[in-house]
Amino acid sequence: MEEERREVCLNGEEEEVVIKDEDKVALQFMDSLHNYLSLSDSLSSTLRQGWLELASARYSMGTSRVNSSLLDLKFHSAATILKITENEDGKFCVFTCFFMMPFCNITCTTLYDSIGTQPHFTLQKWVSSEHELESTKLEYKNEQPQDSNSIKSSENLMGLADNDEVQKERHKSLSVFGVLISPKLRATQLSFEKALETLIEIANLRSSLLHSFSQLNQEVEDTKE
Amino acid sequence: MYGFEAMTFNIHGGYLEAIVRGHRSGLLTTADYNNLCQCETLDDIKMHLSATEYGPYLQNEPSPLHTTTIVEKCTLKLVDDYKHMLCQATEPLSTFLEYITYGHMIDNVVLIVTGTLHERDVQELLEKCHPLGMFDSIATLAVAQNMRELYRLVLVDTPLAPYFPECITSEDLDDMSIEIMRNTLYKAYLEDFYRFCQKLGGATAEIMSDLLAFEADRRAVNITINSIGTELTRDDRRKLYSNFGLFYPYGHEELAVCEDIDQVRAVMEKYPPYQSIFAKLSYGESQMLDKAFYEEEVKRHCLAFEQQFHYAVFFAYMRLREQEIRNLMWISECVAQNQKSRVHDSVVFIF
Repeated sequence: MEEERREVCLNGEEEEVVIKDEDKVALQFMDSLHNYLSLSDSLSSTLRQGWLELASARYSMGTSRVNSSLLDLKFHSAATILKITENEDGKFCVFTCFFMMPFCNITCTTLYDSIGTQPHFTLQKWVSSEHELESTKLEYKNEQPQDSNSIKSSENLMGLADNDEVQKERHKSLSVFGVLISPKLRATQLSFEKALETLIEIANLRSSLLHSFSQLNQEVEDTKE
Repeated sequence: MYGFEAMTFNIHGGYLEAIVRGHRSGLLTTADYNNLCQCETLDDIKMHLSATEYGPYLQNEPSPLHTTTIVEKCTLKLVDDYKHMLCQATEPLSTFLEYITYGHMIDNVVLIVTGTLHERDVQELLEKCHPLGMFDSIATLAVAQNMRELYRLVLVDTPLAPYFPECITSEDLDDMSIEIMRNTLYKAYLEDFYRFCQKLGGATAEIMSDLLAFEADRRAVNITINSIGTELTRDDRRKLYSNFGLFYPYGHEELAVCEDIDQVRAVMEKYPPYQSIFAKLSYGESQMLDKAFYEEEVKRHCLAFEQQFHYAVFFAYMRLREQEIRNLMWISECVAQNQKSRVHDSVVFIF
């Protein structure tokens, strides 16, 4: 069992504190759990805001202009890509899921966790001009790991910089409701976009939580033996 | 001659004016809205509405209710009132009443065309159409590929036909062309309605001119704000403004070049009737602008009932009832989403 020795100042005197490896994992687990709960609350309030803004947009524009029967059923490239990487026995498996906008119609949410693996989720937003693929398509690839030991905190990778092109992509997704739409509908889109980002952060945190939990369990069993 | 309507109006319009004033007294009051705002569930809303004129329309709806169901049933009440008045009306009141529904007809046409472009089922789209805007050949709209076909196959036999020549092209329909078609049709409709009211003369012309001018000005502001940051050019934006109203023509020139909400505010504040609207908003804010416009609209429509022997009461009643249905939709959404604290963000009290 690895130990780490740190000098901590208590009551004006420096003392040496031994931090065991299992304590570090336990602290990491509790930190992740706290962040997970905070993000869940944040997601809930963001979604509530989004749904209310959608109702407000229907109030302003009218029910004939904002309703589900206007959503586009034609095939078109997805606006957002979710990449799931999983490290198992030294190999990286990449799952790619495509999301349809404008209100983040999640078409693929299948994830799995197994002991010893830690999936990592990455979002690429507004990449429909770069990828000429059908939406709702699930792709499976085996690739060589670039960094098998990296455990990154959740991050969002923008397929395009947050500039005019992103605004164009946003307008394009909302064009199903018309070109001259209320600012409230645009605010709705931003709320659901933020909710999607929060979901990805939650997924990464959950992955970290489960990984820490499985490590703790393993160490407890090792101790019993 | 203006001023002598009292001698002849009641011969043909007296009964219907009495009917519409009776309907007006059935509109929900502030006490009704206070009760509705305190409801916990949509069934509570249904229970409170059962004591109003909407009661017979909602009583047979099974639980659980949905907000769209409440809106649909309340709209049926409006449709029944309208149809009763239309079937009892003689000329020129019957034509006047028909003009009131052309806006819904335009919305339905655009809904069908847009939905068809997005490969939606026609039956599903027809269910979403407003009942006041239905006409016989509306389902045939789904076969048209461009505006020329739209006009030739379907709309040539509808009341919207005179409004079409300005926007006929042979290009295939897309989102931008549909949007321009919508606003061009509505512009032509408003101008035609305005000319008709001017021809009627008297109190109808005076009151309706004010109400339609406000409608035109509000549309100009909404088009300006909604087109900020889009591909719509200044010239195209200018072409969508109606050729009447307080902003015509100099306000339109200024609105056409606005690039943000504060510039729009600066234009509107030059016109005293609209200063009070923006006085309620802080700089850079546009979220509450819709509510401010609706409040002003309700105030003007309520004033229309202060005078007798004119047709504007019919127009005002229809608009007030539509506002009431919007209020009910908003309250229902806030209750359904458990966000009652936000209910007063958009409710516009009529009395």
